[in-house]
Amino acid sequence: MFSKGVDDKLEHKFVIGSITYAIRGRDILRNNGFKARVERKTSEYKSGCGYAVVFEGDLETAERILKNANIKITKTI
Amino acid sequence: MIYLDNAATSGIKPQTVINAVERSMKLLSANPGRGGHKPSVTVATEVYKVREKISNFFNASGPQNVAFCANCTHAINFVIKGVLNENDHVIISDLEHNAVLRPLNKTVKDYSKATVFFDDNKKTLESFRSLVKDNTKMIICTAASNVTGRVLPLKAIGEMCKEKGILFAVDAAQGGGVIPIDIKEMNIDYLCLAPHKGFFAPMGTGVLIAEKPINNTIIEGGNGMNSLSVNQNTDLPEGFESGTVSVPNIMGIGAGIDYVNKIGREKIYVKEMRIINEFYDHLSKNDKVILYTPRPKIGEFAPVLSFNVSGKSSEEVADFLDKNGIAVRGGFHCSLCAHEKLGTADVGAVRLSPSFSLTQNELLRSLAVFKKF
Repeated sequence: MFSKGVDDKLEHKFVIGSITYAIRGRDILRNNGFKARVERKTSEYKSGCGYAVVFEGDLETAERILKNANIKITKTI
Repeated sequence: MIYLDNAATSGIKPQTVINAVERSMKLLSANPGRGGHKPSVTVATEVYKVREKISNFFNASGPQNVAFCANCTHAINFVIKGVLNENDHVIISDLEHNAVLRPLNKTVKDYSKATVFFDDNKKTLESFRSLVKDNTKMIICTAASNVTGRVLPLKAIGEMCKEKGILFAVDAAQGGGVIPIDIKEMNIDYLCLAPHKGFFAPMGTGVLIAEKPINNTIIEGGNGMNSLSVNQNTDLPEGFESGTVSVPNIMGIGAGIDYVNKIGREKIYVKEMRIINEFYDHLSKNDKVILYTPRPKIGEFAPVLSFNVSGKSSEEVADFLDKNGIAVRGGFHCSLCAHEKLGTADVGAVRLSPSFSLTQNELLRSLAVFKKF
């Protein structure tokens, strides 16, 4: 489902406002072949609260998948 | 005690539900959505799985639309006070519970009551249709009356709402988990549930499934989102879950749905309808008994039946049954509408609501007591 380039080994983070949407995002990425997990490091996100979906793989593909699932990404790290 | 008050809450909780609650208390004691540590995320994932089960059961758009509330009444209040303005017109049925009537009466100036015909869904639909005005914003109605058991023609009402651009909210405290409810097929925008009834879950947690936005909250506070903002967010589901949710209850709901799915909702419903018809047939042969509905048919009624005994108040009859080992509910069942419709606003009625787990022996013992009326 996504390219296997060198950058795929890098971890990206999508900051998402709620735990429910973060888990939903994680599960959707996993169903699309990504290695993904949920974490919370609010000082890093600088957005009050929120969770991040941390994943390895192509950033643009992952972003498109989550947008198609109506998941709002508040920040990409 | 023979428990015939399952419309109030399911009398017997399955062992799997009890186990899920106990497991939660022992192993899932972290606050979901409030921390980044593993236990918190684990519990949040478990809660999410229950949202998924609820969404799948009612064919909703997804777990993100499923919010946990204090109870079904709380969910209904979120819908009425969060969506409607005082100048909106709303249509309800003449069988509504006070959980709909009271918040609506407080929120809008103008609402109308459609007549539910016990033996004719087309007439019921026409009654709803005839009340639509230019400013009708919502139809909110019960899935099944908590007094008469009458199931409303939800699919037909939902189709009409879609055709006319009216929001459709359903109070499924009584029917949820028992009668077929399909959010997409019935065009339901807001579905409010009491899982302690149809899903045999613990009391004290309700469910709101919102397929459309709710613009205002009625309770504000911490919900794990936007902590640095003074304003409450209205993002589903957490925007409507301020404060800590009851994780043990939610785990009980998940186990309850598994239980219903394992046995089969249809199988449970059919058996409960067979039992309610046994009661109906028996009572209809007693000249002293007053019945208010036709013989309950599958698809048209939920397993709930109300009656009175000539010359006695409903509470007297309920007390008599209690003394003879049978739990039923007399009185008014928190439904001014239904009792006005039945003409029982002065005496109330005796309500029977058996569970599918009622044994043949319990049924026969109950019928033997009923002969003493």
